[in-house]
Amino acid sequence: MKVIDEGNKGVAEGTLVPLDELGLPPSTTGGLLIVFWKGQ
Amino acid sequence: MGPFETSESCQEWKEEYELPFDVIPDEDGTIFKKLSNGWVPYTLLVGSDGKVVLWESEFEEEGFAAVVEKLFQEPTDAQAEPEAAVRAVPQRAGRGLGANIVILGGGAGGLVAAHHLRRKLSGRDRIILIDRSPNHLFQSSLLWHAVGQRRADQIQRPLSDLTRKGVEFINEEVVEIDAASRQVRTKSQAIDFDFLIVSLGAQLRPDEVEGFDEMALNLYDLEGTAKINAALDSFSGGTVGVLVTDMPFKCPAAPYEAALLVESFLRKKGVRDRSEIHIYTPEHQPMPVTGTAMGEAITKVLHKRNIQYHPLFTFEKMDPSERTIIKSGGEPQKVDLLLAIPPHRAPEVVRSSGLIGSSGWMHTDPHTMATEHEGVYAIGDVNSIRLANGKNLPMAGVFAHYEAGVVAERILAEIEGKPATATFNGKGYCWLELGDGKAGIASGNFYAEPEPAVRLYPPMHPWHWGKVLFEKWWLRHWF
Repeated sequence: MKVIDEGNKGVAEGTLVPLDELGLPPSTTGGLLIVFWKGQ
Repeated sequence: MGPFETSESCQEWKEEYELPFDVIPDEDGTIFKKLSNGWVPYTLLVGSDGKVVLWESEFEEEGFAAVVEKLFQEPTDAQAEPEAAVRAVPQRAGRGLGANIVILGGGAGGLVAAHHLRRKLSGRDRIILIDRSPNHLFQSSLLWHAVGQRRADQIQRPLSDLTRKGVEFINEEVVEIDAASRQVRTKSQAIDFDFLIVSLGAQLRPDEVEGFDEMALNLYDLEGTAKINAALDSFSGGTVGVLVTDMPFKCPAAPYEAALLVESFLRKKGVRDRSEIHIYTPEHQPMPVTGTAMGEAITKVLHKRNIQYHPLFTFEKMDPSERTIIKSGGEPQKVDLLLAIPPHRAPEVVRSSGLIGSSGWMHTDPHTMATEHEGVYAIGDVNSIRLANGKNLPMAGVFAHYEAGVVAERILAEIEGKPATATFNGKGYCWLELGDGKAGIASGNFYAEPEPAVRLYPPMHPWHWGKVLFEKWWLRHWF
């Protein structure tokens, strides 16, 4: 389901995700799984 | 992460699903806008070095689990080595036989591949097509069948007719694909292959929707379209709903064509003024992969024909006793006659044989249709091919058709020891039936960057005649 339509294309494999800049928890346990979902 | 969700709603979600990890709100969608392609669900797997290991627009639990398991495997020497530059031609000479080419599925892709190969290979090479159905169904005509413009026997042909052309046909269900030992198994036999073309399409799963059989008529199979035709014949007015239960689904134009054909049918029957027609779909616009202009053009046609369009309808359940359908967080919608597209899944044999990727579908090279297994190709709806705009190549017979030609040429080259140069270029087209003998046609390059370059040609009678002629050609040419 499309939530926004701003020409977003996602990030390619190999892209460095700036976890600090985004305020995300640091990846300290070997990796991080991010799933975007929407309940409604 | 919940884009545009609050801490409270994330907490509720965590508690509802008893999640052992934190669910983080992304209240203004900043992170979502930065990392995603705008769709949910959207999944990213980030490695310990902070780099994206995998992203996926679809989410399919079984496929995703398989990928995660693979990522955590220790690399073997073979995996650590770069891909071999040259693929060895199968050692057919050692057996003193020709090549065994096995094709799974007698739909559009399987049919074209079988013919293409048979026409160019010598008699010692075996081409074996396996399908659990005895018939090839020209699926594009199902909607005509639903509105009484075709009989079932007019849009099917027996696959056993292929034997006259030198293609062996096995009318059985494939129960296992062993890519490593290069063998497929049906319930009664095992068949070795040198080359395998998986063209099994998508499996329809109405059983995943509770109440489907009691309330809905399946728009995507012959039994369902026969029932739709009978229901329309006796329909004297009320609400007709066309429902897309889940994404992805094959033939992206079909729900719109179905609504337009039904509108035309009811008008001719004289009950249109006593009827409402609604389309309910999780898409944000018609045929979203083709871009905004296409969506607007189709929406305009629907509006002109007074068909109510309900985009972003994330179907949750149906209630046959009340004859209602309900979207996530929405009010029940009453529907007297419900035509539904059931959930699509990769066929069970593909799943159980460990051939699906993170999307829940098979993954191939988008140009060669080669899988990671030597000599194994996958074409058509069973595949998930990601486009430059982050969306997936639509499931449609035209792509299976063209991909089949490419794979057949590549197999021929391998057998003959020549370089395989044929590639699929992403070009395709799709008719949009409007009823009243008119159709539009959308045509273009789906591999264009940054977006598919697809053009909609205005509706007119000749496009409809073109579709009718194509149907006649297809059913005569291959049989």
